[in-house]
Amino acid sequence: MTTSNHDTDTGRRHFLTAMGAAGMMIGISGNAYILKDDKMYIKTAGGALAVDLKKCMGCGTCMTTCSLVHHGKSSMSLSRIQIQQDSFAPFPDDIQMATCHQCEDAPCVKACPVNANKANDEYGFIRDIDPEKCIGCMQCIEACPYTPKRVQWNPETRCAQKCDLCVHTPFMNEDGGPEGVRACERVCPVAAIKFVTELPDAGASDADYVVNLRNDSWALSGKTIED
Amino acid sequence: MKLKGYAGKILHVDLTNLTTHIIPTDKYQRWGGGHGIGAALFWDLCKDLESITDGRDERNVVTLATSPFSGTNVPSAGGRTEVTGIGTGIKPINWFARSNFGGQFSAMLKHAGWDAVTITGKAPHPVYLDIRNDKVMIRDAAELWGKDTYDTQQIIQDDVASVEATAGWNALSDGNEIGRTTQKAAVVAIGPAGENQSVFGCLVHGSGHGSGQCGFGAVFGSKNLKAISAMGTGFVDIADPAALVQARFKTRELYASDADDHKLPEVAQGESQTFMPGAAMGFHPLGGAARPLIFAQINDQHRSVGCHGCINGCKQRRDGYGNESHCQVTAWYLPPALIATRGPEAAHISIFSNREDIAEIQMYAAELVQRLGINSYPLTDGCLWLGILAQYGLVGPGKPIESSLRWDLYGSMEFAKQFCEAIAHRTDIGELLSEGFVEAAKKVERFEDVRTGNILQYPYWGMPEHGYDPRAELTWGYSTLMDSRDVNDHTFNWMFWQVNYEAAAGLKHRVDAPTMVKLYAEKMIPYANNRPEVLDFSEKNMYSEDIARAVQWQMHYNRFYKNSLLLCDFRWPDMVNINRPDFRGATADPEVGEQVYWNAITGENIDFAEGIRRGRQIYNLDNAIWALQGRHREMVTFQDYIFESKFKKSKFGGYLWPCTDDNGDWGYHNVVGRKLDREGLEQWKDHYYRLEGWDKASGWPTRSLLSELDMGFVADRLERSGKLGAES
Repeated sequence: MTTSNHDTDTGRRHFLTAMGAAGMMIGISGNAYILKDDKMYIKTAGGALAVDLKKCMGCGTCMTTCSLVHHGKSSMSLSRIQIQQDSFAPFPDDIQMATCHQCEDAPCVKACPVNANKANDEYGFIRDIDPEKCIGCMQCIEACPYTPKRVQWNPETRCAQKCDLCVHTPFMNEDGGPEGVRACERVCPVAAIKFVTELPDAGASDADYVVNLRNDSWALSGKTIED
Repeated sequence: MKLKGYAGKILHVDLTNLTTHIIPTDKYQRWGGGHGIGAALFWDLCKDLESITDGRDERNVVTLATSPFSGTNVPSAGGRTEVTGIGTGIKPINWFARSNFGGQFSAMLKHAGWDAVTITGKAPHPVYLDIRNDKVMIRDAAELWGKDTYDTQQIIQDDVASVEATAGWNALSDGNEIGRTTQKAAVVAIGPAGENQSVFGCLVHGSGHGSGQCGFGAVFGSKNLKAISAMGTGFVDIADPAALVQARFKTRELYASDADDHKLPEVAQGESQTFMPGAAMGFHPLGGAARPLIFAQINDQHRSVGCHGCINGCKQRRDGYGNESHCQVTAWYLPPALIATRGPEAAHISIFSNREDIAEIQMYAAELVQRLGINSYPLTDGCLWLGILAQYGLVGPGKPIESSLRWDLYGSMEFAKQFCEAIAHRTDIGELLSEGFVEAAKKVERFEDVRTGNILQYPYWGMPEHGYDPRAELTWGYSTLMDSRDVNDHTFNWMFWQVNYEAAAGLKHRVDAPTMVKLYAEKMIPYANNRPEVLDFSEKNMYSEDIARAVQWQMHYNRFYKNSLLLCDFRWPDMVNINRPDFRGATADPEVGEQVYWNAITGENIDFAEGIRRGRQIYNLDNAIWALQGRHREMVTFQDYIFESKFKKSKFGGYLWPCTDDNGDWGYHNVVGRKLDREGLEQWKDHYYRLEGWDKASGWPTRSLLSELDMGFVADRLERSGKLGAES
């Protein structure tokens, strides 16, 4: 994993395309992006959510709570974290936890033609979509390389949305974000979600965001703590 | 006042005409949800209820209902579905009854935009219901009929997931206006047992969420209804989302077990970590750890599984048989497996004994009943009873009980398979058992085994005893009599597990008796909150108004908070919480109590006692239905053995419960070794009927009571039928 560095990040090789860079220059604020060697670099996000696939119990509480704090509605489809389970599949392959990776190279940011999907310089450069700017083209959704896509379509607002680490949560009393509370992490009954600040390099797989969060206390409940 | 939290629509399916239409939920909001809505719909739609004697009558109305909590993050409440209608296999009359199952079905139904599905009539051919948001299809089930519940669900799920919007996300139809989902459809199905209308037929959702008691699988089968599938991409609108989230955070932080720092009491020597005694971690209301509540000792390669919104899952999935099965389902075949594996003396092992050698047989048997859609509860005693009769040479080809099953393999996987398939398909012994063990005992002229409770312990309504004998745990027995099925109040009854486990394991009681009764009574608003004596189970108090008050609170709490708002029976009420310094549970708490969640979701501003009052309304609607069905006071009694023989032992041997001694001092006393007397029960019923405001002679509600509860329309119908209780 790579430690986030908000000040100097110019050494990264991940860059936006020339066309993307030109588009990105419009409306850029702060210092989320750095232009060097005629290439645009995105600063590394300040963290992301890692998960323990063997610990999750599939209750979906993270999903409805995510939807509640962001939208004031209890929904699974509006959740920015997606837990998938198959009652008929054997452990441990019966559950998948899909969180946004806050990718180093941020394909969804690169794909946005109007800079609605951007690295938010106020909140640790998390990859964040501004619904006021989003034109609903879905290009960021399609650009997400993971299955299921970590950028969701909101049919009500007709905008794309994604995990913002709870920065924009009008229905949560506490402040969210990399320095605050992440609702899914806080509400998970078995502590199967953890905010981490060391992120994998670009092109990481889902497996790179899977961690073992089980300790000796967990073993007392009769379940494995092995990887 | 139009409340938030409701989808706003109830789906009425007329199977006879294969049509659907929408009933606005507004009219039914006063009943909360779940059971209340189901009972009210039954009242309105079942015009011939007085003449229906069996749940398999096509005039029966069966409802699967959600609540405002469904599909939300209210702890251990978001995933349960209440099933109501006239049941099957209940004695002496198939009462209007209830059952309930967990999982994801109610959440999906709510997110699809429906508060309930109510079903009338009978389809001309096998069908299933396919709900995708607003789009509802009654589809041909010819290809599904005969399949087990697992195959049925997976075939439907694959069909629903056939339209992909983008990688990993399915759309219910094309177009951006339609939502997307990563989820599988939630399906509840019957297996062959339901199709063949055995009273053991149940509804199964997922691999182990069952609606077992009362035979609603047979009701589905009688209506040619194979399954209901729900897929929703919508949401539940919440009045105060921030308050809801805050309450859930607080419940998690203050009342639930910390998964990374379990505060465990001592564990009995040699106890397997996958067994679930109360004082350890598994069976505890909100405060217990997420841990499978099973009787099979499986290894550590499994996960805990929680229903939608659960705060501490009690089910499990592993790489083996019996996923999501828990509690009794994992124990129904335990005695036969033990006897077959270790010999007859093994039937007397301690609850703490190692049973790893038979775990796979237990879990295999669990999966069998889930796949075939069989309610396993009656099989526990029933299979043992038949096994004993077989030992005496009474079962087999040409024997008094005709059967060609391999009784010589009794206790093996092979026998379990033969036995369950016979029940599900009503072949061999299954035809004899198709109306339940009470009827079977009568047919083979062994009703004495039921009357005396000799193996076949059916103390109330022709239903099997639940492990909490009425002679010991008075509240479980009495409240079941005041209901139409075994009451299932596992968290009120939590102290049995806590206290008796500690005693059996030689541990010090964490909560002493005076504290326990004080904490319980504090929560029993408004009937007993200053009266710990309602928990006094000593012999001198067995037929008292005190115990009537306790049962009254149970019934009213259950009917609103648990059966209608659909708080999980294994997690609520939270009377005592071991994670709190003062042991006070979450129930009725001003920050995390039931009413806090109700208010946050609906926008109402009720106190806890108002919920109890609403429970009383719902309960009296039930009682009115039972009166119309023919219930009368003299029917409300236990099987003879409860009065004629002494209670011998519990799962732990003893049965400790709070009692006062002659000096009025509290302690945990062993209540084994006593029986009830008939006069005492009648005395207790006098108290109870008076407290409820019922006619003491008949048990029917009176007009004055119903008027007080704003249910004059119920009184009118009872009066027309000559079933209105006389005023005292």
